[in-house]
Amino acid sequence: MPASFVGVRHHSPACARLVRRVIAELQPAHVLVEGPADMNERMDEVLLGHELPVAVFTSYRDQFRSHASWTPLCEHSPEWVALLDGRRAGAAVRFIDLPAWHPAFEDRANRYADTERRYSRAVDRLCRAFAVDNVDTLWDHLFEIDPGDELAERLATYFDLVRGEAGSEEAEEGEANADAEREAYMAEWVRAAVADAGHGHVVVVTGGFHRPALVAALTGGGGGQHPPTPSGWPDVPVFPAGAVGGSYLVPFSFRRLDAFVGYQSGMPSPHYYQRLWENGTDEAGAAIVESVVERLRRRRQQVSTADLVAARTMALGLARLRGHAAPGRVDVLDGLVSALVTDSLDRPLPWTGRGRLAPGTEPVVVEMVAALSGDVVGRLHPDTPHPPLVDDIEVELERYRIPVSGRFEADLTELTGLGASRVLHRLRVLAIPGVLRTSGPDVGGDPVLSEAWELEDSELRLPSVIEAGSYGATLAEAAAAALGDRFAHVAGDAGGLAALLFDAALCGLDELSDQAVTEIALLVGSISDLGGLGALLSTALGLWRHDRLLGAAGSSAMAGVIDAATIRALWLIEAIRGGPAPADGPRLQAIVAVRDAVIHADSVLSVDRSSVLGVFVRSAAVDRPPDLRGAAIGLVWALDEDSAGDVAAIERSVRSAARPAVLGDFLAGLFALAREQVLSTGGIIGLLDDVIANFAENDFLIALPALRLAFSWFPPREREVIANTLLERRGLVGSGRSLLRLTADPELLARARAVEARVGDLLSLEALVVGGLGEED
Amino acid sequence: MQRPPAEVRWADELARLRSSDRAPRPPGWALSLDAARRFVVGDPKAKVERKFVGDTSLIDRALVTLATNRGLLLIGEPGTAKSLLSELLAAAVSGDSTLTIQGGAATTEDQIRYGWNYALLIADGPSERSIVPAPVLRGMAEGKVVRFEEITRCPLEVQDSLLSLLSDRVMAIPELPGAGGMVFAVEGFNIIATANTRDRGINEMSAALKRRFNFETVFPIPDLETELALVESEATQLLQRSGVQVAPRRDVLEVLVTTFRELRTGVTDTGDPIDQMSSVMSTAEAVSVAHAVGLRGWFLRGEAGSPGDIVECLAGTAAKDDADDLARLRRYIEQQVPRKKGRHWKAMHDARHALPG
Repeated sequence: MPASFVGVRHHSPACARLVRRVIAELQPAHVLVEGPADMNERMDEVLLGHELPVAVFTSYRDQFRSHASWTPLCEHSPEWVALLDGRRAGAAVRFIDLPAWHPAFEDRANRYADTERRYSRAVDRLCRAFAVDNVDTLWDHLFEIDPGDELAERLATYFDLVRGEAGSEEAEEGEANADAEREAYMAEWVRAAVADAGHGHVVVVTGGFHRPALVAALTGGGGGQHPPTPSGWPDVPVFPAGAVGGSYLVPFSFRRLDAFVGYQSGMPSPHYYQRLWENGTDEAGAAIVESVVERLRRRRQQVSTADLVAARTMALGLARLRGHAAPGRVDVLDGLVSALVTDSLDRPLPWTGRGRLAPGTEPVVVEMVAALSGDVVGRLHPDTPHPPLVDDIEVELERYRIPVSGRFEADLTELTGLGASRVLHRLRVLAIPGVLRTSGPDVGGDPVLSEAWELEDSELRLPSVIEAGSYGATLAEAAAAALGDRFAHVAGDAGGLAALLFDAALCGLDELSDQAVTEIALLVGSISDLGGLGALLSTALGLWRHDRLLGAAGSSAMAGVIDAATIRALWLIEAIRGGPAPADGPRLQAIVAVRDAVIHADSVLSVDRSSVLGVFVRSAAVDRPPDLRGAAIGLVWALDEDSAGDVAAIERSVRSAARPAVLGDFLAGLFALAREQVLSTGGIIGLLDDVIANFAENDFLIALPALRLAFSWFPPREREVIANTLLERRGLVGSGRSLLRLTADPELLARARAVEARVGDLLSLEALVVGGLGEED
Repeated sequence: MQRPPAEVRWADELARLRSSDRAPRPPGWALSLDAARRFVVGDPKAKVERKFVGDTSLIDRALVTLATNRGLLLIGEPGTAKSLLSELLAAAVSGDSTLTIQGGAATTEDQIRYGWNYALLIADGPSERSIVPAPVLRGMAEGKVVRFEEITRCPLEVQDSLLSLLSDRVMAIPELPGAGGMVFAVEGFNIIATANTRDRGINEMSAALKRRFNFETVFPIPDLETELALVESEATQLLQRSGVQVAPRRDVLEVLVTTFRELRTGVTDTGDPIDQMSSVMSTAEAVSVAHAVGLRGWFLRGEAGSPGDIVECLAGTAAKDDADDLARLRRYIEQQVPRKKGRHWKAMHDARHALPG
């Protein structure tokens, strides 16, 4: 009896129903499912009775590559239904695909991603022919909304068409080879099952894209490439010696199922399709509306009955226009958006395209997508063997003699202390309860050489370790993956990003994946707060230059952050415009950080020095705020190769900024960036002495607060040098230090001078003093 | 005719669609929803040209809205073909796209509802003979779609004269005695308004009126390929008409269109956010810059335009109504362009000094 091939789309309820029907009709002897063959001997474990979604997580690491991959299963997955119903019908159920650690899966994090997405030309043409926006809508239109009786035939036609048109010129060669390798392996299993079944039926459930190849391989006749094994079944590839990793079950969630993007994605909106599987199209549509309205009302958004009537009318109208028996996913969403959005949208509707939500998407639309995604989290049956992370943590705790509870101190200058600290930080990053640090190094804080931890055992510990097991097989891997996840949530928040980077340093940066590093660079690109960005840049720069303690010095991840942050800072600085305003401390600190990056980290920057100088030469223009102009001039001076610089030009610009309302703020910028240059040339101090001495009394008082602030950029010792210079200039003898010491509160002194000036004014106004003060003789 | 209306220009397509149209038509419609959709998005089998580049689902929603009792408001950036879309929809639904009100500061209620022929009014008094129907009155009486262009440029009071028309679907003419005093809307009547997100007026539309419209945002062309093809074909035509004997170079146009797209969306192709221009960076504007680039190249040097010409021509586009845009453009060329690979991008960066100021 030949095999019956069911080509499915992963996570499609319509396909799941088809699988159920086929198995019920045929009562097969064998059910073969696209899935990791290395899990076959643990099939009982897979079918223990978990709360879905769960996933088979596979990790692999050898000296050349490391890889993590998931095979997610939910209740409406055709693969899951095949396993469940097959077992119930008394069939032997087996996975027949290569293990996820096999090189054929090298670039895939999700086994059940849509393969046909890589062969987009045919899909694009179908979308145009059916007048729909994208492949998900097309899929709903063709298969989900009204599966009908001839679903199997339609599915086969669809996948044959997509596969048939997918000439090898479209897919990358590597991908096509990987597909061919997997299909050849699956075909071997099918052959073996057909031989074993005799007159019994064999049902093969695979991705529809593989079906044509499998059918061809089996009807083409001939044996496999490999000689039959003694058992008659193909060999499962043996996990390479010397590599670490393995496959095991982990809890999964709808949110993560929906979060795969691009080539890695499968069907979107798991919650919707779950309802579709349970209750059918009509009820699933109603359920979305209900859950969207509930979410919106919880956020105090008004949703009136009239709006709901309008949404329903639209949805029904759209369904009719598009030839749907009942409103499908997109019909309902389109109806809701027509009725509820009463303004222009900033971003296209997410269901017209693909991929993650773009920032700036209308909040109502964000809620709609979240409602469809759902927040169901799976749970493993208590008898499931623990993922290897549980053991790995035990081993690590043992190795560093970290107690289960009580106080623990780690000396960071020692190798074992540092190792222990990293283990504990990784546990903290994974949010394992009962791990609390009471003291230790902090973001931007002073160097601290030891850490103290407060540890506590709790019954919540094991469940959360099992949950964390979905991140990786070893503690280091899992922590790196969890950190990578967190990067996705701090978008645009410079402070959060700095804290996260510091966490990464505490955990041992080498574990951070390349992908996370690229992601950080992207995130840095979205920061719009220059002050926060400056803090981030100086944190990263500090770690990169000096951190011998945690081992982040010279790390390439930090180098990437430094580069991205410098470029972003230049971009933000270039945009600043404004008139006189008080000096902005964080902004100046950011410019200082840029200066330091250019001086000390030139090798990792992708902008050349002349472009940086260009930005600041332009920033000295008159339409910028005074502190920025001062800072720009200072930075150009500080970065100038021949250290003398064009002092005359700088003196000219200082003189042009010598207006009482502006001078102090301008100097704050100049001093922040070019403190040493100002001191070493001396000319500027003399110039300032002249300028300020010529200020009228009133003007001086206006300028005073900002001037004081500007000079506070100099440390006391340098202020003393300045004071001595001034004494010398005026030919006075005395101690510069005593000049710096005030006998009274500076504010009080300033007020006293103001009162004196006013008294003088009044006296001359009332003609009580001839010609005003100071002109008596 | 310099520019025939849609129902004249594509009369044969409409006739073909009508004759083969078997699907049920909403009352008062010239075509079924399905045929109307095919008229707009094209149907190669029926030899119907694709007239609107964009999401099909937008057309679906627009058509269904027109069949309900809410009006349709097409909103979006300038140059996104909103007016063309409203013309196409009116031609498909009513077979007539000429019932049009052009909104503006000087629009009055007379131009929306009805006015009077004053000679007849004085001679005969108010009568159906002396009334001059404006587009909305005609649309209601004849059951046709009325187009209201740039609705948010109208004063608020004038906009609000649509309120009762849209909800009660009846217009009272108190001057006329008897039954003529009430004009009830015939099936098929609805309103397609267009509004421009760059006009600050959009915020002034009253909540009551907003409720009576379904908003549809029309986005610029989503993918580079389609936009590039459009710019290339339009610019080539324009250049030929201007006597330029070389076609624009595709790689130079790609630089131009990419620049426009990035400045328009505020995101570069690597995902870095940049400042959005406040000037309109529409496809139409890209075509006119491509035209200018071609003219410069040919008449100044006898060759196709170069990336340097793009910089020179962009300055005129960018600084049109906002001096800050010039700074944004400079920032883009100084800081984003050198990070892109390819010799045309480099040439563009080298030409940065051509920006004025």
